[in-house]
Amino acid sequence: MGAAGAAAGLAACGGGSAGGGGVPESDESHTSFVMTVWGGEEDKNAYQARIDLAKEKFPDYDITLQLIPSENYEQKVQTMISSKTGPDIMQVAENVNVYASKKQLVPIDDLLSESGLDLEATFGPVGANYTWDGATYGVPDRSGAMVLYYNKDLFDEAGVEYPTADWDWDTFLEAAKALTDPSKGQFGYGGVGWWPQWFSLVAQNGGNVLDPETGAPGVNSPEAVEALQFAHDLYFTHKVAPTEVDYSNMGPEMGADGAFQQGLVAMNSTGFWAVGGNAGIEGLNWDIAPFFHGAESAVSAFGSALVIPTAAKNPKGSFEIIQFLTSLEGQTPIADAGQDVPANLELQQSDAFLDPDWLEADVNLQAFPDSAEMIFTPKFIPEWNEMQKAIDDAMASFWLGESDAQTTADDLQGRLERVIKPSE
Amino acid sequence: MTSTALRPPTAGRAASRGAAPPRQKLTPHRRKEALTFYLFISPWVIGFVVFLLGPMLFSIYLSFTEWDSFTAPVWVGLDNYITLLTDDPIFLRVMGNTAYYSLISVPLGMVVSLFIANLLNKKVRFRKLFRTLVYLPHLIPIVAVALIFQMVFAPEAGPLNQALALIGIDGPNWLRDADWVKPALILMSLWQAGGGTILLLAGMNGIPKELYEAAEIDGASGFRQFWSVTFPQLTPVIFFNLIMGIIGSFQVFAQVFILTGGGPDNASQMAVPMLFDEAFRFYHMGYGSAIAWILFVVIMAFTALAFATSGRWVFYESEVRQ
Repeated sequence: MGAAGAAAGLAACGGGSAGGGGVPESDESHTSFVMTVWGGEEDKNAYQARIDLAKEKFPDYDITLQLIPSENYEQKVQTMISSKTGPDIMQVAENVNVYASKKQLVPIDDLLSESGLDLEATFGPVGANYTWDGATYGVPDRSGAMVLYYNKDLFDEAGVEYPTADWDWDTFLEAAKALTDPSKGQFGYGGVGWWPQWFSLVAQNGGNVLDPETGAPGVNSPEAVEALQFAHDLYFTHKVAPTEVDYSNMGPEMGADGAFQQGLVAMNSTGFWAVGGNAGIEGLNWDIAPFFHGAESAVSAFGSALVIPTAAKNPKGSFEIIQFLTSLEGQTPIADAGQDVPANLELQQSDAFLDPDWLEADVNLQAFPDSAEMIFTPKFIPEWNEMQKAIDDAMASFWLGESDAQTTADDLQGRLERVIKPSE
Repeated sequence: MTSTALRPPTAGRAASRGAAPPRQKLTPHRRKEALTFYLFISPWVIGFVVFLLGPMLFSIYLSFTEWDSFTAPVWVGLDNYITLLTDDPIFLRVMGNTAYYSLISVPLGMVVSLFIANLLNKKVRFRKLFRTLVYLPHLIPIVAVALIFQMVFAPEAGPLNQALALIGIDGPNWLRDADWVKPALILMSLWQAGGGTILLLAGMNGIPKELYEAAEIDGASGFRQFWSVTFPQLTPVIFFNLIMGIIGSFQVFAQVFILTGGGPDNASQMAVPMLFDEAFRFYHMGYGSAIAWILFVVIMAFTALAFATSGRWVFYESEVRQ
C-alpha cells in the first residue's frame, strides 16, 4: 500500500537550483570525467572506441563511459542530476530543453567562439538544433535523416522505377498504388503514423506542428490539415499502407520495419538503424533513397548532441573532449562500427562512412549526406514528452479511420495549447 | 496462514490489554533480552524508516509543491489536489478506469480461482500436473505475458477472435477500441488467477474431514457441502485474497504500460501509469505525488470497507461471534 505513496518520492533526494548565465568557473585540476550515453552493446563499443581516441589526445584526462539502457536514460540522468552526481558530458536528443530550460546545462557560445568551432558549417542545419532562449547548449554528434528504404524485387515485379530524390507526393503515390497487392497481403508503403513521418509531410506542405521560433502549436493550420488528409488517404482511400489493425494481424510487435524485412511493405521511411537490420536478412534485395518531397523539401532526422551539465566541475575540459569527439577523427568510429550517421558532414561525405567494411551489401549510403540539407527539426520544446502523449491520445482514432483530419487537428491543437507554454 | 494477521482485534483481547499488570523494573536478564530484540529488529525498522517512511513523508511535502526535480520546489499549497480533482482533463476518468478494472477484475478473479481450486481439490488423475499448470501463468514475467496477449487480442489473426468467429461473433479490436480495452485487461488478469488458487487449495486441505462426513450423514448434496462447509471454512483465505487483490489491482501498472500505453486516448489509462508519466516523464514530481496520495486514500477506503463488512461473512473457527 505504502509503495504507491512512496513511488513519487523515491527519486527525490536533494534538488536545489543552479545558476544560469555564462560558463561557470572551471576547476582545471579536475581531470576525471564521466560521460553518460544511452543504447546497447553496439553503441557501447562505438563510444568506447571514441573515448579511447580522446584519451590518447588528452593523456591527462580520465574519461569514464557510462552506458544506460535507452528506456531508463531520462529517469536515470534525472536522478543523477538531482542528487548532485550528474555527469560531466551527457548525450541528449529531443529532450535537450527539459534541462536547458531549467538551467541545468552550460551555454557553450563563449566556448564555441574561443575554439573557432562553427556548428552550421561543420554539421549543417542540425547545428542550430540544440539552442534555447538564444543560447547554444549542444554540439551535434549523431544525425541521420529519415530515408526511404525500398524492396528492389517488389519494384521490379511491379515494373516501377526505383525512387529518387526527385519524387514528389504524386509520383510517390502512383508507385505506392502500383506496389500494393491485397491478394498477396502486400502494401506499397509502411505508413506515416510515427511523428517523424507525418511531421515531415506537414513541413513539406509549408506547415509547422510547432512554430520554429516560439514552439507554439500550429497543427490545425490549413497546410498541416492538408498534409494530414494526404496521410489519412494513404490508409483509407488508397489503402497503400497497413493500418495498426493490419500490423497487429501480421504478428506481435510488428511495425513497418519488420514488415519491410518480410517483404510485406515495398517502401518504408525510417532511420539509419534499419541498414544494419535489413543487411542481416537473407534474400532481401533492397536499397535506400532520400525521402520524397512535397511543395517544399523537408525531412525529419534522428540525432543526438553532447552537452555539459552545470554541475560539471571542469566545463572547459568537458568542452575540449566534446570538441574532439565531434571532430572528423573523433566520430570516425561511429562510421567504422556502422553505429549511426555521424553528424560531421565531412565525415558523412568520406569513404569511411559511404563505403564501410562492416556492410557487404552495396547500399547507397550517399542518401544520408544528400538528405542533410533537407533536414528540418521541430523546435525541441521542454514539454516534448507531454506533446508526444497528447499526439498519441488525440490521434488514436485518426489512424484507425474513425476521425477526419480537421477534427483531429483541432482537437490536438487544443490539447497542445494546454501543455505547451510558448517561449517569447 | 498469513490471513490471521488481518484479523481485527476482538473485544476480548482489547479487555485483556487494559488489564495489563503495571510496569515493573526490568531485571538484567530481561533487559538483555530486550536489547537483543531491538538489535535483531533494527534492520527492518531502519529499512522501513529510511526507505519507506522517509520517502513517504517527503512525498507528502512534495504533493504540496511544484517540483521539476532539478530546481528548488515551489510551495503551492493545495493547488495540485484542486487541479487534479477539478481541472485535470483525464484524472477523474483515470480513477474511474482504475476502479472499473479493480472492482470487476478482483471479484471475477476470486470466483474463477475458487472454481478452479474446487475442481483441483477433487481426486482426479494428473491432479498435480493440473495444479502446476494452473499456477504456471503466475510465474511468467508480466512483460512476456503482455507480448503473448498482444497476439491473443489481435483483431483478426488472434486466437480469441478466431474462437469467437467460430460461434458467429465478430470480435472487437480489443486493444484499440475504447469500449473493449478495459475488458481485455481484465481478461488478461484472469489468466493469472492461479496465484489465488494455490492459497485456496491450501485452505481446503485444512478443512477437517469430519465436517464433510457429518454433512454427508445429514444428506447434504455436493453443492450444499460446498456452500455450507467449504465456503465458510475458506472465508479467511478469500478475505485475504480480496484485500491483496484490491491493493494490487488499484496499482496496476506493467500491463497497461506495455500493452496499451493507456490508449486509445486514455481509455485504459490507470492511476499508477499516470503517476509515472507525470512524475518521471513530464517532470511534475509534485503533481505525481498528489496523485499517489489520492490513490493511497482511495485504496485505504476500499480496504477499510472490506474490513468493515468482514465481520458479517468471514468466519474464524477459533472465535466465538459476539
